[in-house]
Amino acid sequence: MNESDHEELRRELVSLLGEFKVLWNKSDLLPYTKDTYRIRFEDDHRYFPDFAVLPETTQEVQGIVGIAARRKIPLIPKGGGSNRTGMLVPIHGGILVDTIKMKRVVEVDKPNLCVTVQPGITLKELADCLEDYGLWLTQEQGSLKIATVGGAISTSGFSRFHQKYGVIADRVMSLEVVLADGSVLRTGPKVLYTSTGYRLHQLFIAAEGTLGIITEATLRVEPLPEARDVVLAFYDDFWGANDAAQRLMASGVVFSGAEAYEGHGMDKLGAPEDKTSLIYVIFHGTRGEVEAESAFVKKIVEGTHGVLAKHDVAMTFLDTYTEQWCGARALTGFEDVITTYVPMERMKEFYDKLWNEIAPKYGLEPLPGEKYGLDVGRYRMVGGRYWLPKGERAWERYQEAVREISVLATSFGGSIQSCHGVGIQHRENITLEYSDVALDTMRNIKKVLDPDNIMNPGKKIPSKKRVP
Amino acid sequence: MNSGTAAMLETAEACAKCRCGCCKDQCPMYSEIVEESISPKGRNLLIRAVCGGVVEPDERTVRIAYSCLLCRRDEYDCSAKLKNAEAAEAFREYLVDKGIPPLKEHEPLIKSLENYGNPWQESRAARKRWARELKGRKAIPGKTKVLFYVGCTFALDRSLQDTPKALVRLMEHVNEDFGLMLEDEVCCGSTVKRIGQRALFERLREENETKIRGLGVETIVTACAGCYKTLKQDYPGLGEDVEILHSTEYMSRLVRSGKIKFRNAKMAVTYHDPCHLGRHAEVYDAPRAILRAVPGLKLIEMRNSREKARCCGGGAGVKTAYPELSGKAALRRLKEAERTGADAIVTTCPFCVQTLGAAAEANSSKIRVIELSVFLDELVIPTS
Repeated sequence: MNESDHEELRRELVSLLGEFKVLWNKSDLLPYTKDTYRIRFEDDHRYFPDFAVLPETTQEVQGIVGIAARRKIPLIPKGGGSNRTGMLVPIHGGILVDTIKMKRVVEVDKPNLCVTVQPGITLKELADCLEDYGLWLTQEQGSLKIATVGGAISTSGFSRFHQKYGVIADRVMSLEVVLADGSVLRTGPKVLYTSTGYRLHQLFIAAEGTLGIITEATLRVEPLPEARDVVLAFYDDFWGANDAAQRLMASGVVFSGAEAYEGHGMDKLGAPEDKTSLIYVIFHGTRGEVEAESAFVKKIVEGTHGVLAKHDVAMTFLDTYTEQWCGARALTGFEDVITTYVPMERMKEFYDKLWNEIAPKYGLEPLPGEKYGLDVGRYRMVGGRYWLPKGERAWERYQEAVREISVLATSFGGSIQSCHGVGIQHRENITLEYSDVALDTMRNIKKVLDPDNIMNPGKKIPSKKRVP
Repeated sequence: MNSGTAAMLETAEACAKCRCGCCKDQCPMYSEIVEESISPKGRNLLIRAVCGGVVEPDERTVRIAYSCLLCRRDEYDCSAKLKNAEAAEAFREYLVDKGIPPLKEHEPLIKSLENYGNPWQESRAARKRWARELKGRKAIPGKTKVLFYVGCTFALDRSLQDTPKALVRLMEHVNEDFGLMLEDEVCCGSTVKRIGQRALFERLREENETKIRGLGVETIVTACAGCYKTLKQDYPGLGEDVEILHSTEYMSRLVRSGKIKFRNAKMAVTYHDPCHLGRHAEVYDAPRAILRAVPGLKLIEMRNSREKARCCGGGAGVKTAYPELSGKAALRRLKEAERTGADAIVTTCPFCVQTLGAAAEANSSKIRVIELSVFLDELVIPTS
């Protein structure tokens, strides 16, 4: 953008929003140069947006989109900014629309168990607010302190209570979205189930801001449960914990969420010295339900030779577990994480190939003792943390490794990403997962909703058809 | 590169690699401004870019650098425990070293400290006014055992002078052999250190330390959380030679030894942890132990207390530079206190009393804001 266009655009944005909600100075724009994705090392300060704007109302978002549409300038909608796949990197410059000031709780509808909010409220802020009404958001993940409702919807974010309460994608009832032409779309009535109309809100789940800017969301919430509990048990290795996980899934017992993983810090949880892995299973419900379910799961632990943690330790673990996410990369130094969706029966094979073939081939290094992790239940996210390749062609080898992991996951019938989206990291890789017809359908939807390709261009969908 | 700059860059680098942003959640400045750059993460990215030559410091850089209360609340939310406040303080020093002028709002306090040894533009002699009714309390070199180091704000802000008076009464009540520096006392230098004026801080530190050491006291007691942190942590070696106590530590000893007792107080209070006393010096239990020793008194904790306590908004030059933001941060904390249903917020720092008190007054709050020594002064049972 040349200087005079920049100045003209600045004036226009300032006149719309006022000086305090428009940022153009480099110092202010630094946080918007990238998200938590590892772009090419030397490109750390390469991608500055031309502007960042901080709207507070739907009308302001409409105004911003109107300006961008007229000038055909890229718009990058942003939530909390914790994304790992580069969907917030302003690769073409443009206006970064930061929704973090849109924090208003519009309506708490207790009888109908739903809440309507602006998109910039964080999951934690919303959970705290709902607590005062005796209601529960049910959505909890490591990034809950910063992840916004709009961002979580736009990436189809994870929740550790997925098994019983679903992830945010399952809880969206209706959305308000500003489309690329500046019009405001209400996707449908604020109901959880209806058989009328196309379920338009589904289009914007995991859309990564490529189809419009979410300005309001209505979510299903639940009454605060009477009781909660957790069963935490230690195992010699991940596969022991996985054995319990498989039996848990096959048993039909109701649990909120569960995770099995190999990891550090078992000793701090009171694990015997030789234990490297754990499983934790969370329950919410009435007191009777929770007691019966946890007693049932304890028998599974017994049958798989697990060692139960003390109950008070387990409860503290439950309360503080999400806190480990914050600062984890600074603490452990890990650089990226695998969050693929792999069918259970192929998981061992996936891990064997990942750590014994792909990782050594490209120089990925797993964090010691953190090679295996599984979100247990319908989610089935298979994870592991690693350091990036070093030395010559390090970044290229990293990309090649990610590609090969994607090939592996999709060849097993899984998905490249269960909760971190596509962004720029997987833009080409998703051709592995979708047919030409599916990709063309996506392109056509994009074209209808955003004919000038101003909504987060260069993300999510590969621009050209797969080369045979 | 000095060690402070190296540590600052190390923190900024580690944060830039992580970028989680959890520091924003309870950051008092981010909560009010709601801009990514006004957070420990945003500041760390800026430190890295400025030191790496990507960004030339300008007024926006300075705004980000000085919009931090150095409260360390973010460290609770960071599993890596990155020293973001230290990095922010070092960044201010870095900018000063690069010739970036101080904020114009800070100029009067800097000049006042240069000329009068206090930030409040009061003469040196004004420092003893609060104690005009006290006789024979000037510390005597080689004789006085305990120095009550009052600090500029308690000594010079008339609305806060009840605190030193109350503490003096308490010390007299237990026949403590204590003395005051009165007009000889010089600012500990906390405020200028926090705003990056290292050279002036060193000058104040040297003058102060020479005077304190010259008295040969065994113990220093101060009621100011900022003075306490500064004397204890920013005067290398002083704490090894002289015992430095915050008034809450001093009073909790008196409670423990049975030297002071309190009459019944049928009310509920909540305790606000000052950042300099709590997170910076890890004194959480002493004030609570004192309050629990008051019969009938109910202590109700706020949602965010101890390590999680939110800053009152009064620290690190923010109140002087950005009074409106400081007021908003204070109001947020006040509302949190009101939610407990307590009759009063008890705290132990002059700036917390000032900012929370002003917020309570401006918002016609029913909750009373009171400094701990003053609160206890009303309850101490006099000796026969």
